[in-house]
Amino acid sequence: MSEKLGKIADGLLHGKIKEVAELTQELLDEGMDPEEILQKGLFAGMDVVGKKFRDCEMFIPEVLRSAKAMHAAMEKLRPVLSEESSSKAGTVVMATVQGDLHDIGKNLAGMMMEGAGFNVIDMGIDRKTEDIVAMVKDKKPQILGLSALLTTTMPKMGEVINALKEAGIRDQVKVIVGGAPVTDDFALEIGADAYAPNASIGTEKALELVKG
Amino acid sequence: MPRINQTIQTTPYFRVLSENQIEMIYSAALDVIQRTGARFHHEEALELFRNSEAVVTDENLVRVPISLVERAIKCHPRKINLTGRTGKYTIKLEKDVVNFGTGSDLPFTYDRKTGERRRTNYQDVVNAGRIVDYLPNLDFFMSHGIVQDVPNPQTYDRYQFMAMLEGCTKPMVLTSVNGEGLEDLWKMACLFREDEKEYRLKPLFVAYIEPISPLKNDRTAVEKLLFCAEKGIPCMYTPCPSSGATAPATMAGMLVQSLAETLMASVLTYLKNPGMPLVMGGVTTVLDMITTAYSYGAPELSLASAANTDISKWIGLPMFSTGGCTDAKVLDEQAAIESATSNFYAYLSGASLVHDVGYIDSGVNASLESLVMNDEIIGMIRQMGKGINTEEEYLALELIDKIGPGGEYLTSEHTLKHYKEWFQPRLQDRSDYETWVREGKKTMNDRIKEETDRILKEHQPEHIDEKIQKELKEIIEAAEKRHAK
Repeated sequence: MSEKLGKIADGLLHGKIKEVAELTQELLDEGMDPEEILQKGLFAGMDVVGKKFRDCEMFIPEVLRSAKAMHAAMEKLRPVLSEESSSKAGTVVMATVQGDLHDIGKNLAGMMMEGAGFNVIDMGIDRKTEDIVAMVKDKKPQILGLSALLTTTMPKMGEVINALKEAGIRDQVKVIVGGAPVTDDFALEIGADAYAPNASIGTEKALELVKG
Repeated sequence: MPRINQTIQTTPYFRVLSENQIEMIYSAALDVIQRTGARFHHEEALELFRNSEAVVTDENLVRVPISLVERAIKCHPRKINLTGRTGKYTIKLEKDVVNFGTGSDLPFTYDRKTGERRRTNYQDVVNAGRIVDYLPNLDFFMSHGIVQDVPNPQTYDRYQFMAMLEGCTKPMVLTSVNGEGLEDLWKMACLFREDEKEYRLKPLFVAYIEPISPLKNDRTAVEKLLFCAEKGIPCMYTPCPSSGATAPATMAGMLVQSLAETLMASVLTYLKNPGMPLVMGGVTTVLDMITTAYSYGAPELSLASAANTDISKWIGLPMFSTGGCTDAKVLDEQAAIESATSNFYAYLSGASLVHDVGYIDSGVNASLESLVMNDEIIGMIRQMGKGINTEEEYLALELIDKIGPGGEYLTSEHTLKHYKEWFQPRLQDRSDYETWVREGKKTMNDRIKEETDRILKEHQPEHIDEKIQKELKEIIEAAEKRHAK
């Protein structure tokens, strides 16, 4: 069985989507603890992907292919994971704020987070503040990712954070903000929990925030 | 349905001179040879000319009839292959195949510890060789510096070649003291092949020889030319005129004179032994009219060199051009600007050998960091030279439709396949501001220094076989004995 865990890790590295999903299912059918599959198979593989990406041995298109494979395996695993494990690989809600139609950065961050094992709910672009708050209430994500590319729509991110406070749920969710004009100072100013200058750092920050 | 009447331009297309202009310059050069002539300070050469249709007057002034020039110029091969000492690297010197490499014999080296310039030594040349051996976009090696910590300046060229061989396994261009020096270098190179005839099939170096502009050929240059002709050694006869001082101030005039100088070498070697592999060339630049510097950063150098390359392609000879060099004293913004523009122009022109990469301080000082910087520049330039593929797969019509408005291309197989065709920088910074700050706010110069350190620490070329090492040293020692008297 441990041989299959190695194959899962290797399959993730090479972006073998179908193979990774099938192996995960096989191990579940053979009765392996889902937690073990997650830690020794999937996370082990994605750790290598992360390292290779940082060392410039893998590039974004390959990382995303690995992320897709991770996502496919998590689909099998999530229903049977314990609550504790589930929250370790928690839920992320993402949205581009109102007035802004840009989304490639947010999408990229979402895909990378899926690769890290998160369940990502992407609300899409141009989302009203009240819709985002309603989604947070409903899905109870560990992370909310907000994106804006325009200096004119940036203030909307602060508006969302204020609305979370007013709804009394600000302390239930960690907020990460990103987008080309956003800075560390701005994130601090509007009371966000973290700022992500790019998708991979966003994923690292999300993992740190979930660990607490 | 396939189209009819199509022309596909697979790469960018660039030229400076039209065919008519080339003919004008060639015709003018023939006139110079027939009317003005050139001086040869070498008795055997003069004897060869006297025994031909050429006319020798005023002791050593040689004028040659056009018919002889045109016979001679047709006898050189159109291409030359060079192979490094181990056989791992081969370069082809032919039309529109561009190889980049260092220059040679710089008296000073930029000392990486003190930041000052100092006399170049043996180890400097070994180190330059190791860097060239490592860098993927440098294809051939000239010594970069001139070895000065040797017992006798009359034999320095053997030590210099030894240092080059120690550091580098790529093909080379070699300077030599005189005919005797060149003979020793050739013997040393032959040790890496089975015998002299095998060596001729697989030469390791091109001999660098230059006339003295305007239209003068000194004894040592002629000795070398005649030895190359005798042994069929590839050589370049490369004028180094300074426009306005040793050549006309007009680019066309400088090109006419330079071509006449090269054609004279063609005739001489033809009379000795037809068929010597000849490379055209020249560092055709301007004399700076304020400082009198022989400029290595002048746009005229690039312009005239590219025009000269057009001429070389028309004649059918490989071309020795210039790029990646600067008049700046250190590796600063001026160095980067001049290196980038000259490399780009030389690349577009399609010259066979683009040399002097890494020269700073107007051809006086050798920089190792500049080699590392230029490698990145050349990588970018080669990418721009790739042109645009317009086949169906590349027009991506199906894909655009599949992804549709508002979709993304990041996760498509098409992206995964084709992004690999892009240039991936090794030294240029494309990170976000925060990452850049976190990693120490490094400038390009900082990264170049680190990479140079890393290569010098880590890269070792394949070792020279001990038996060959011993034989190389014997040739050097024998030269030392001859010159000890």
